[in-house]
Formats: sequence, C-alpha cells, structure tokens
Amino acid sequence: MGRTVITITQQLTETEGMLSPFRRTLRRSDQYIFDGLFAAARRHIAAIGQAESLLPFETALLAMLLEQAKEIAVLRQELEQLKIKRE
Amino acid sequence: MNEQTGWLVDVYAASEGGIVLWLLTEDDQRLHLRIKFPVTFYAAGEFALLRQAWIYLKGKDVKLARATRHDLFLGEREVMAITLPHPSLLPALFADLSRQFPSLDYYDADIPLSLRFIAQTGANLLGKCRVLLDGEMVQSIQPLDSPWEVEPAPLPLRILTLRPDVNPAIRKPKHLHVEYKQKKYSLPLEPTRPFLISLKSDLGRLDPDLIITDFGDTWLFPQLEEWSKECGIEFNPNRDESKEVLKRRADSYFAYGQVVYRGAQAHLFGRWHIDRKNAMSWNEYGLEGAMEQARVTGIGVQEMARKSPGAGITAMQMGTALRNGIMVPVQKQQVEGAKTLIELIRADHGGLIYQPLIGVHGHVAQIDFSSMYPAIMVKHNISPETVGMIDVPEGLIPKTLRPLVEKRLALKNLLLELDPRDCRAEVLRARAAALKWLLVVCFGYLGYKNARFGKIESHEAVTAMSRELMLQAKEVAEDLGFTVLHMYVDCLFVQQEGLECPADFTPLMESIVEKTGIPIALEGVFKWVAFLASKRDKRVPVPNQYFGAFLDGTLKYRGIELRRRDTTAWVRKIQLAVLNILSRANSPEELMDYLPPALAYIESKKRDLRADRVPLEELIVRQKLSRVLDGYKSPSPAARAARQLQSIGREIAPGQSIEFLFTRSGVHAWELGETLDVRRVDIQRYCVLLDRAMQTVLDPCKALCSPVQALL
Repeated sequence: MGRTVITITQQLTETEGMLSPFRRTLRRSDQYIFDGLFAAARRHIAAIGQAESLLPFETALLAMLLEQAKEIAVLRQELEQLKIKRE
Repeated sequence: MNEQTGWLVDVYAASEGGIVLWLLTEDDQRLHLRIKFPVTFYAAGEFALLRQAWIYLKGKDVKLARATRHDLFLGEREVMAITLPHPSLLPALFADLSRQFPSLDYYDADIPLSLRFIAQTGANLLGKCRVLLDGEMVQSIQPLDSPWEVEPAPLPLRILTLRPDVNPAIRKPKHLHVEYKQKKYSLPLEPTRPFLISLKSDLGRLDPDLIITDFGDTWLFPQLEEWSKECGIEFNPNRDESKEVLKRRADSYFAYGQVVYRGAQAHLFGRWHIDRKNAMSWNEYGLEGAMEQARVTGIGVQEMARKSPGAGITAMQMGTALRNGIMVPVQKQQVEGAKTLIELIRADHGGLIYQPLIGVHGHVAQIDFSSMYPAIMVKHNISPETVGMIDVPEGLIPKTLRPLVEKRLALKNLLLELDPRDCRAEVLRARAAALKWLLVVCFGYLGYKNARFGKIESHEAVTAMSRELMLQAKEVAEDLGFTVLHMYVDCLFVQQEGLECPADFTPLMESIVEKTGIPIALEGVFKWVAFLASKRDKRVPVPNQYFGAFLDGTLKYRGIELRRRDTTAWVRKIQLAVLNILSRANSPEELMDYLPPALAYIESKKRDLRADRVPLEELIVRQKLSRVLDGYKSPSPAARAARQLQSIGREIAPGQSIEFLFTRSGVHAWELGETLDVRRVDIQRYCVLLDRAMQTVLDPCKALCSPVQALL
C-alpha cells in the first residue's frame, strides 16, 4: 500500500519483460531452462529484498547461481550414493 | 433532583441547543435527557490573519480567547479558542470561517460529538453511568464502568427485525416479515395505508431500541417516507420524534487498491437502525462486534456497523488526543521527510514474505505472532511523533493501542479457558474479532495519506522491526534444527523430523518469545499441508496459498478458490467437500488413498450439473465493477451483466457487486428477475471453473503419486 519503490516481484517481472526479445530468439527447449532461472530467483524474493541493493537484478543473478549450486550439490550427493551402491 | 442509573445508548446534538442523551435505565425506561455542552475549536497561524478572523467573529454568538495549546508535532502553539454555546452551530460556523480564512490551521473542528462528550465527562458509549437530573436536564454524570471491561454487563436491548420477502432490487416485495423476541409475523405491503398504520402501531407498542433490517438503508426507510407522504399518514421511525431520519447518499470510493461501493444509509435518533445488507462486517462479527467497536471507539453503533474499522481507530486516536490535551488537526500536516534513493530503498519495504517450499509436507507447525504490528508499536513506542527518538514518553499511538491489545489478549485467554460449547463463546469470539480489525487497520493508518496522526516513517519503522523479528525467529528455529517452510508477515511454518504433537514445539516457541519479546501462539500442527505453485510456472512458489489438515482433522486454507468471493457456491461446496475427503489422510503418503473417492465425487457433481440438478442460485458468479460502465474497452462479464441491468433502468456504480450466470450466449444478470431456462446455462464453462478449482487441490497430491497414478 502506497509504496514508492517497486517491489522485487515487480522488478523481476519488468526485467523478464525487457528480456523477452532475447527469450523469443532462444530455442523452445532453451526457453524452458531460461524461465527456470527466473523461477529460481523468485524463490528468493525475500532475500533479494533484504539485500537493499540499488541494482536488485545483480542479487537476483546470485539467487539463480545459488539454486544452481544447490542442484549441483544434490546431484553430487546422489552420484556419491550411487557409486557406493555399485561398489 | 432525581437520580437514575443506566446505559448510555445514544448521543447527538439537540436542535434546541446542547446535547441529547438517551439512557436505558436499569428499570427498563428509555429516558430522553439533555445536557448543556459548549464546544471549542481552535485556529492558529499568522498573527495578522488571526486578528482579522477575530474581528470577523466578534459580532457572532461565540466566545473568543487567546490560548496556548499543544500540537503533536509543533509543540506549544498560540491559538485563538472559539467557543460556541451549542454543538449544532459548529459545522456551519467552521465551514464559513475556513472559507474566509483558508490559510489558517484549524484544530478540533471536526471531532464527532460523542468523542467530545466522552472525553469531557468520562462516561462511555454503551457503558453504565449514574446521572443526577433536574427534569430532563442532566446536572452531573458519573461513569460506573470502563470500555476496557472484559465482560461488561449485557445491554437489555429490545430488538425488532424487519425484512422484505424478496430482494427489492430483483422483484417488488409483497410482504414485510416482522420478528420481535419469539414472535414472527408478516405484514402485507399493499394496500399501503393499512400497512403503514399497523407498522406505526407496532413500532409505538414495542418501542424497540434497535431495528435490524434487510435493505432498510436502500429500500425500507426511503419507501416508508414516500408512502407516508402519499397516504398523508405521519410516520417517524425515530424515538426522538423532533428529528427526521438522517439520510446519507450512496458513494463509491477507492481503498486498498479497489473500488468500494457503499449504499445509501438511514440513521435513526434515540434508537438504532442497522441494515444487515449494508453493514460492512456484519457477517464477520455481527451486532456484538459492532457494539464492542462502539464501546471502545466512542462512535455510535449505527456508524460503526456501516463504517470501516479505520474510522474507529481514527476516533480512538482523537479520543486519546482530547484526553491528553493535544489538539486534533483538521488536515494532516506531516509529509514524508526527504530521503536519498538508497535510504528510500532501505525504508520502503513491507512485511517479510518468505517463499514457501512447494509441495505437501507432513507434521508442520504454524506459529503466529499475536497482533504483531500493534505489539511492535506498543513495545517499541512507535508513533509519528516519537519515531527515530529514544527515551521519550509514550507516544499517542502506543497510548491508544495498549488497552486495545491488552483487552483482545484478555478476551482470547478467556476463550481458551471456555468450553467451546459455552453460549458465551460466540459473543466473545465476535468481540475479539471486532477488536482485531481495529488493530489491523491501525498499522495501515500510520502511513495513510489522510490519517491525522500518520507519518510514513513510523509506518516503515513497524515493518522494518517486523522483518527483523521474523528473521530472528527463523534463526532461532534453524538453531534448534527446524526447517522453515514458509514465513508470511507474522506467521511461520516449521517442521522437524520426529516432532509431531503440539507439545514438541513448546521449546521452540519459548525460545522465540525470549529472543523477540513479542507474544506468539501455536495456531496448530498440520498432519499435512500443501504449499502451492504458480499456475503459470510450476517451479515458482506462491506465498500464502496453501491448504492442510490439522491433527484433529480441521481444515485450514488460504488463497484458494474456496476463499475467493468471485467463486460460485457450487464450485466452493465441491472444493470444500473434496478437501474434507482429503482431510481424513493422516500423512502426505496417505493422501493418495483418498484421490479415487475425491475424483468419483467430482464426477458425480458434474453429472448433477449436466442433468440440471444444480439450483441456479449455486451457479451465480459475483464480480465487482472496477470502473464506470463506459470506462470498459472490452467489457468484462460483470460489465456485460451490468449493462443488462442498466437497460432495465437500474443505476450502476463502480465498486458494486454484480451477480450473473454464464449462459451459452454470454451472461445473464441475476437481478434481471426473469427466470432463466436451465438449458441456456453454459455447462462447459462451469465445468472449466470446477476443473480449475480441483486442479488447485488435487495437483499437489498427484505430484506425490507414481507417474502412472498421476495420469488419473
């Protein structure tokens, strides 16, 4: 109510809109992955807001990286378990 | 001299001077009393201008004086005090003076009369008092209770209920149903003359304190006036017959991002009239709630039932100001302080909304901070005049809120001790809900552009503090090994393997209270709860959209179709029934067992629809008009239905709810009155609406199944 600064959610939607020509040019299969990056950022809206950055998209990129690192960590763990099972 | 004890039920300006009070005495009398009551307002500003105003007022029936009074933000101010002998003269004189001298600052000029009376005498609206009388003139008044009593003595009200046999907007009513105590009867509306005579005699004989109506504001009272003129029978529904019914016109206004429509109003004098169809929160807390709000705010029951809680909290702030010798400005003076961009980015945040982890989770506790924002304002002394200062006396807002927060807590504690079947429970719940709404809006009013005692910085201080407290709570939970699934402004959802019953979460709760200093409560432990994903992208979580079943099987749901006003009753009923089927599952894994019966149930309901076995009323869609009809470029279904109504002469205003059915050829406005052939209903469209609602509740459960099962 009565906010002056736009919210992080709005900011992400705006950036996504700005990048729509970029997205359009990607292959359909890549578009799905691209949307996934924004979905990853949206899981951390509260944290991006708390960062109080002048350029919140920078922090959103960090959130995307974070989700990727998390996924790698999970996959690595699963791989380790599979290896143990095989041995 | 004569002494009387009773409840104060109405206060208003008397046309012959002074104030009229209505006292409902212990021996069941209704006394019309009067009291002399001069009122004062203030003007401040440039000395030369004040001098001119002084000269302008000199010949009029007022007393003028120089005084020093306290302004909340500017401190002591030299003012001109203008005292009028009768409160009824104030509005016209103030309007005249402010037109002549618009650049002066005015104070105390638009305070509701009941507030002045309460602040000056200490008596309370709906409270008990003892009066010393000389004829009908009150010599002295002594309050016998306080608005903060948790269980005040109930008022022995005589309540008359009047309602037409049909909604007058749809068809012309033929009867008026009358209810008084255990008696129920109907009066035929035609011929008008005998109807008016019988209603008049009933009103005289029963002498009700409260008339509850359906469509009294928009239909009954305006009609009664018209019929009375037509038949030449004098009919005055007021107890004070020297007064006429006070009529207020309908209006539309913009609040909280949407257009709101408020119907016309009819207020009575000496008795109350509440139109259930035009009372804002009647469904939420009814008469008991409206009376509780009137008691603590000092604004009459008729007003409080129709107004938003914002008006109530403003009145309470005015009351605190009056009692503490602080002048109430007519216009807000505090603008936002200058900030750099980075300061603005830092300050301009709302509450903390932590995206949930999508999916169904087992054994989750929901922990709520009780009245978090008001508690922060009281504990941290956040008020427009104290923000950014330390070691200053308690501010106006915390002073106003403290008793309110304490009373609500006392009511809630009383409710916890009470057997839920106890007949007092419902009343107490209604009163607690009424207080809750006052507390909820109080925070918004700190930053509202028209609030007298608002300043955006104090609003921001509250949200900043709330975010800090939520982060503290999260850290405490994580230190103790919990997973925080979701946080939403003032509540958090936590889970830890092995912890299943409410007592398991007590150590966590104690640690949070110790860290934050704000009281918290366990809303409950869910057997399972589903946090939903966005319908556009299943990878994106949506805050505050969830459904789940507590350990005792009670359902809780937020943000789903069932909670939305524009969902048809048919879809809502089915979604609730399906959730009830799912609520029998004791864990996320068990949910799969309940999918087949749920799907069978949905199919049976669709068959009912196709076989015309669903009453049309259950298919009504209700949507609000967001603008004037000509403002639509491509009209929404509601706008198309509104056009149909307009074509039969109905007046349509923005913010009004329009009811309609989807038909094969478009829409059919429900209030058109003609019966719709059931074969014209757009069955396909309703099935789509149902499927969408079902997808919300079944998709998270299906995600738990194997891929083959998920194809169901």
